[in-house]
Amino acid sequence: MKTHLRRRLMQSAAAAVTLLYAASALALPASADEPYDVYNYNRLGEAVPSQAGYLAERSVSGIDLGTTALNAPSDLFKDQDDFFYLVDSGNNRILKIDSEFSEIVQVYSEFTMPDGSKTKLKNPKGVYVSPDTGLMYIADNENARALVCEADGKVVMEITKPESTVYDQGLTFLPQKILCDNAGNIYIVLNNTTRGSAMFNADGSFIGYFGANSVAQTATVIANHFWNAIASEEEKRYRARSTPTAFDNFDIDTETGFIFTSTSAGSTDTDIVKKVNPEGYNLFSYMSNYIWGDLFTTWYSGTSYKTRIVDIDIGDDGSINCLDATTGRVFQYDEEADLLFIMGATGDQVGAFTAGNVTAVETKGKGCENIYVLDAGKGTVTVFTQTVFGEIVHDATEKYNGGYYEEALGPWMEVLKRDGNYRRAYLGVSSAYYNMGRYKESMEYAKKADASNRYNRAFERYRSEWLREHLTVILLIIVLLIAGGWGLKRYLRWLKTRPKRKPGFWDWG
Amino acid sequence: MMDYTQPQWVKHVLFHPFEGFEDLRWKKGGTLKYTAVILVALFFALIALDRWCGFQFRPLPDTLFSVVPYIMQSVVYFGAWVLGNWAICTLLDGEGTMKNIAIYSSYALIPYVIQAFLEVILSHVLVRAEIVFFDLVYYIGIIWTALLLFNAIKAVHQYTFTKTVVAIVLTLFAMLVILFLAVLFLSLFQKVYVFFYSLYTEILYRVRV
Repeated sequence: MKTHLRRRLMQSAAAAVTLLYAASALALPASADEPYDVYNYNRLGEAVPSQAGYLAERSVSGIDLGTTALNAPSDLFKDQDDFFYLVDSGNNRILKIDSEFSEIVQVYSEFTMPDGSKTKLKNPKGVYVSPDTGLMYIADNENARALVCEADGKVVMEITKPESTVYDQGLTFLPQKILCDNAGNIYIVLNNTTRGSAMFNADGSFIGYFGANSVAQTATVIANHFWNAIASEEEKRYRARSTPTAFDNFDIDTETGFIFTSTSAGSTDTDIVKKVNPEGYNLFSYMSNYIWGDLFTTWYSGTSYKTRIVDIDIGDDGSINCLDATTGRVFQYDEEADLLFIMGATGDQVGAFTAGNVTAVETKGKGCENIYVLDAGKGTVTVFTQTVFGEIVHDATEKYNGGYYEEALGPWMEVLKRDGNYRRAYLGVSSAYYNMGRYKESMEYAKKADASNRYNRAFERYRSEWLREHLTVILLIIVLLIAGGWGLKRYLRWLKTRPKRKPGFWDWG
Repeated sequence: MMDYTQPQWVKHVLFHPFEGFEDLRWKKGGTLKYTAVILVALFFALIALDRWCGFQFRPLPDTLFSVVPYIMQSVVYFGAWVLGNWAICTLLDGEGTMKNIAIYSSYALIPYVIQAFLEVILSHVLVRAEIVFFDLVYYIGIIWTALLLFNAIKAVHQYTFTKTVVAIVLTLFAMLVILFLAVLFLSLFQKVYVFFYSLYTEILYRVRV
């Protein structure tokens, strides 16, 4: 009887404690759930606290998906119909997962060659599925080939080391990443050349290289140029050559056809992210020294922790999502390369990753509602979900970048209510007011955004409007001043030259 | 002839760049009170140029403000100029006293101060495309001040043209030396102060324990 009573007491105490916890959890802001501090950068490049645009919802392991644990997975891809393809490199297989990321639809580990024989993958590194043809492209790394196959695993084409003279025959052919463009051309990232990705025809013949990085213009490189200009052919052969770093990952914006490349080499700051058009021209070349990822490199006991962008993903709304292996952070930019959100960290919690082991980032949804990060160290995929704040920012950004400034006013104002540090919102409000002809307010918000050129633009219109409104008054004042000055002069002269007379009886002096 | 009040002297000097200072010297015009006023005005002009301009021209982050650079650029530089010029020109048979050098040089700064305030006012009226007016005011102010300063030195020491040029170049060099020495002494005295302070605290500890 006594023990029974004690248990009852204990239970109610536990319930009270639980309730207390629940109440305190309610009082905290949503971002308190994150295992990291959410921040963003202001105009001066200082990190300031910010609202979270995405929250880590859950992390999914191989066992959660109903199969064995993932072994060093290296790529994640989402196709047209929102199916996910996960390259499980260590287990030599590719998993096709449903759009909710909860169960496996199909496991690709064996393929049928055109001649009927069976073939297996060996350490595959990349996968791509064409939105037009539905063909699957696999970078089968250690088999030194790339496979093009149908959805049922029937191989259509096998691409091996090209026998072209353009391709240096001393080099191996170890595909890392693969994709194909709208015309069916196939691009393969190799890890042993700095000339760009190998480019193949739709029928598998080698065309050449595509989209190499440019050489960072350091003092050494410029000195090299100088010495090479005066060196003889014989000397030149022994001189060090200036070569760019190779990009090691890419993604294609299927709507526009631009290929975005990312470079993870820590030795360079040039061309970390490129936006390459089909001709091979980098549209981001005007900002080739733009700092992607964290603006500052942290130094800690002799090691530098510099952003290394290992994967890039273009969302359906055009956003550029960069994955930083050093800090485990995803940096989300809009299509104009303005930073939207930063999420992720290193650690053990959900939403944090093992340092240096994240390998792929993928997004889903029209407004980038979900972000998926693949952690090879843990063998899990972490699902981030957009917060209300993130949704509003995306909505505003999309309208703003589309030129619908006035329509974006509402969302931007909503953003400011939630996060007064969000600078882009001030720019957006300023632009909206400018387009609506409310120049005074536009100036005010431009000032808050610290955007001098926008202030100038709005001020110019404000001034001409002011002048037009007050023209009559101004003219009147000018006329009055001139007339008054002339009159005063006359009066003073009259005072000086008037005949002096004796003061009369009623005069003062 | 030329029985001017002090404000009239200022006007006379400003609008007669070539004979103005000679007249000033001949009639023993000018007063140090005005020098003080002009220096204070210069100090505020420099601050105004950086802080009070229209946002379209000089957007400075509000988080950063230190008054020290403005004191440096107005009072300290002027003091170094006067001291340096006096030191150099005493050796070069100049006739100017330190007081006169200070007065004449400060009168020469008036166009610069006025152009600074004019620029501040203009910056609230103009847009970026009309920056040429801004520049116009600036160059007129600078050239006018340079002309006045040159003739001030020439008049105060009764120099020829060439000798004035040499004196000014040497003065600039002397300013550098003075500022260098000033920095040196400051850091030295800082060290001495720290030394005595630590001595004092040490003794205090001994006494207490």
